[in-house]
Amino acid sequence: MTEFDRITDLEKEASSRIASAGSTRELDELEVEYLGRKGKVTQLLRAIGELSAEDRPAYGARVNQSKGTIEGLISERRAQVVQEEAKKRFKAETLDVTLPGRFYNVGQPHVLVQTMAEVKRIFTGLGYQFVESPEVERYRYNFEALNYPEEHPAMDEQMSFYVTDEYLLRTQTTAVQARVMEKQKPPLRICTLGKCYRYDAVDATHSHTFHQVDCFAVDEHITMADLKGTLVKFCQEMFGEDIRVRFRPDFFPFVEPGAEIAISISGGRWLELGGAGMIHTNVLRNCGIDPEKYTGFAFGLGIDRMPMIKHGIDNLRLFMEDDLRFLRQF
Amino acid sequence: MRVPVEWLNEYVKLEAPVEEVADLLTMAGLEVEEIDHLTAVEVARLGGVPDAKDDRILMTKVTPNRGDWLSMLGVAREISAVTGWKLKTPKPIAKGTAPATESLIKISITAPDLCPRYAGIVIRNVVIKESPDWLKNRLIRAGMRPINNIVDITNYVMLEYGQPLHAFDYDLLTGKEIIVRRAREGETITTIDEIERKLSADTLVIADSNRAVAVAGVMGGSESEVGPNTKNIMLESANFNAVSIRRTSKLLSLVTESSYRFERGVDPGITDEAAKRAAELMQELADGEISQGIVDVFPGKSEPRVIFVRPERVNWLLGTNLDVKKMTACLEALQFSTKLAGGGIEVTVPTFRPDVEQEVDVIEEIARIYGYENLGVTLPSAAVEGKDSREGLFTQRLRGILMACGMQEVLTHSLIDPQSVQISGLLEESLAIRNPLSEDTSRLRTALAPNLLHVISRNRSVGQKDISIFEIGKVYHWLEVGAPTEHRSLAVAMTGSQWSCAWNLDKDALNADFYLAKGALERIFDCLHVSGVVFEPIQHPMLHPTRAARIVVNGTELGVLGEVSSEVLDKLDIRGRVYVFEIDVDRLMILTPEAVGYKPLPRFPAVYRHLAVVVKQEVPYAEVKRLVVESGGEIIEDVELLDVYTGTQIKEDERNLTLSIIFRSSERTLTDEEVAGVLEAIKASLVKEFGVTFRG
Repeated sequence: MTEFDRITDLEKEASSRIASAGSTRELDELEVEYLGRKGKVTQLLRAIGELSAEDRPAYGARVNQSKGTIEGLISERRAQVVQEEAKKRFKAETLDVTLPGRFYNVGQPHVLVQTMAEVKRIFTGLGYQFVESPEVERYRYNFEALNYPEEHPAMDEQMSFYVTDEYLLRTQTTAVQARVMEKQKPPLRICTLGKCYRYDAVDATHSHTFHQVDCFAVDEHITMADLKGTLVKFCQEMFGEDIRVRFRPDFFPFVEPGAEIAISISGGRWLELGGAGMIHTNVLRNCGIDPEKYTGFAFGLGIDRMPMIKHGIDNLRLFMEDDLRFLRQF
Repeated sequence: MRVPVEWLNEYVKLEAPVEEVADLLTMAGLEVEEIDHLTAVEVARLGGVPDAKDDRILMTKVTPNRGDWLSMLGVAREISAVTGWKLKTPKPIAKGTAPATESLIKISITAPDLCPRYAGIVIRNVVIKESPDWLKNRLIRAGMRPINNIVDITNYVMLEYGQPLHAFDYDLLTGKEIIVRRAREGETITTIDEIERKLSADTLVIADSNRAVAVAGVMGGSESEVGPNTKNIMLESANFNAVSIRRTSKLLSLVTESSYRFERGVDPGITDEAAKRAAELMQELADGEISQGIVDVFPGKSEPRVIFVRPERVNWLLGTNLDVKKMTACLEALQFSTKLAGGGIEVTVPTFRPDVEQEVDVIEEIARIYGYENLGVTLPSAAVEGKDSREGLFTQRLRGILMACGMQEVLTHSLIDPQSVQISGLLEESLAIRNPLSEDTSRLRTALAPNLLHVISRNRSVGQKDISIFEIGKVYHWLEVGAPTEHRSLAVAMTGSQWSCAWNLDKDALNADFYLAKGALERIFDCLHVSGVVFEPIQHPMLHPTRAARIVVNGTELGVLGEVSSEVLDKLDIRGRVYVFEIDVDRLMILTPEAVGYKPLPRFPAVYRHLAVVVKQEVPYAEVKRLVVESGGEIIEDVELLDVYTGTQIKEDERNLTLSIIFRSSERTLTDEEVAGVLEAIKASLVKEFGVTFRG
């Protein structure tokens, strides 16, 4: 066997071992075994001393060629093995993408709070400032300042819960009016919202507690047309353009002329939304505002009704029962 | 009020379908809630005789200012005003055949402030019998039960005119005298419902020379009541003070058709006419003989009200451009008489409209008849910039943090059961409702947490296990000075896991515990940049005795945090553990800085060192941390807790706290030697102060 034959044998051996190598680690080992500093191919070069001078260049070239061949085989096989390994790994890591995702609950605002936020968005957009006002209110602000005559049948619609002779639970957010007008002078664009209370047993459409938004504007020339425009705008924003708004005469002691607001969606029946009107001259006068110089409008709308209309909720009690299965629907 | 259509047609012939008339009335302010009808069977059952007439009934809802709409004529007048259809009214003359009324009855008013007018007329030799069918049917359709012809006639005329009437048995009146006076203190009367009623000195009564025979405007007395044997009638048609009648009605807890109308104001201009109308009907239907002339005592007689109306003011307020002719036409339609004078309109208000007192009331009348639907639709000019209140904005911010922590918002009632108030132990401070609907809505809440426990209980009962909820709302207290006060509060309650879907995860590790609740609370403080929060153990009636903390920020007590005591949970039938906290939102808002001071990003690297400290159980973590920070000096950036261990590898009364201490200088890169030196100093302090040992 010539020295050259040994090279060929080594090539054959390496080729078959490389071909059967199943991992990159095995290939790394083969690379060291054949091509490393003490590798088999390197060792072949040591035999060069035993050759004749004329054979040496050819032998050297042949060993180098062999080195290149083995390198090529390894890198070729490595590319294959990397792919095979990846395939294997991917197969082992296969996930059932249809299993449900894990999650922790995301909180949501209460559906009435969502409505209140919407109400606030619309009225702040129309240039109203929201103020806070107490729920445990003085008789004076809830009734007297609002032009309620003592011992008047109008009080029957405002049956109140009393805490003392002087304090009661406000029956309407309108109680804010005199509180503001005593301190601030026109121009005024004011809103408040929150809980109100009336002596009313709880059923699907009534409750001793309900939510209201009250809004009023006082300026040098506020007209009843402005009142209508403002309410139409609000209703369109809240319920969509496909809405009709109806104004008809109604009576509330603190407004004159007084109106009731009702809406009809897609031609459905009229649903009462609240009361409205031009602030009564007596109310303005009581607060030290000259009704000859200033006029104003005011309205109060039931908030609970809004999501009932919007989402088709048929039972008022659901709002305060706080069944999570209900609340998470919104 | 029930307004039978067949009857209404007697005063104004309806020239349009009933539905259209109903709509016109509604749009004029007299709401027709529905159009009812009585079948022949129903009419018969109620004692009537079925006929082929229009059986529909307008069900009106009368606003409290419009007493005049509580009558057939009032409704007919409104229809005529808005349509222009001709109004037909009865014109009773009551021609007498019996002796002069004055000779038969003497009438005096000693309380003219409460009785502006009293008219009496005597009808003799009446025959008490059933009313004719047409009258019975009309009463039945209007919701009244026929009794006998005399009583039916008084009811019929009351419905027709809105004027309550009362028929006395003339022969039972002592002294043939009527005195309208205040009751004597302690005076009693048995009313026709056979109830003896005690009267107060404020009550107005109708008396004969001997005793009270009627509670004025509310109900007659049984002793002078018309019965089957009555021969002669003394018919009363009077006008009483609205407030007085309302007080009496409330005092006696007795609301009648009569009191209901007087409370809302009865036209003092029709007192005599209604009496004549009833007398004529008694002549016709009871064969009675009418006494000649009417005794009409009218101390409250006054000139009709005249109001000056400025046309420019009308247009200014309504945003219209109506001419004076249009305005007067609207008013004339309503039977207001008008006269142009002094650049305006002098409006004379008919006596049936006591609610029209000033110019603006007349403007409403013009608007009503002109039609609200015909007014313009404009927007006022913007005057100020719209914005939410400071409280509203803060609450919204808070809500965002809580929702990010996975909490669902709930809203609960402020009116609650005293027992629920007692859960948080503040019953004495709570506001009680004097006139509650029921015991379970008789107090105002002093805290939100008890309500949240009720929400958990309710949700548990329908199968919800994992619940994390919050509420932001008002709570109410008595101030020491004796005034009520209210402030915003925030409460959170957690039980079970916040994870909805967590297959293969360690379920126990996901369940809410004290520290998860505390973590949510600390997130709030972090997000709001509120620092200096201290947690101190406390005893609280709602909470586990050794798992409760008071939350204090810079000396301000903000609220409580803890595990709900098993006693409370048992009462609410809640199994498992529940964690809550509640803080004062108004105080938190004050503690929240308006702006955040910016800190430059660090320029030099941090060095991390772990320290495992074995320390006596009773030494609070906060103390260990404080000492590490203090003894480490300014290069301590932060101390984080990695682990807490108790168990067999250390003594029973000890625990191991593994800390990660972060060192950083803002001026230079720290060297290992420097950090090692500081760490040694920290360890020395810990040993010195708490006698700790170190592991690992």
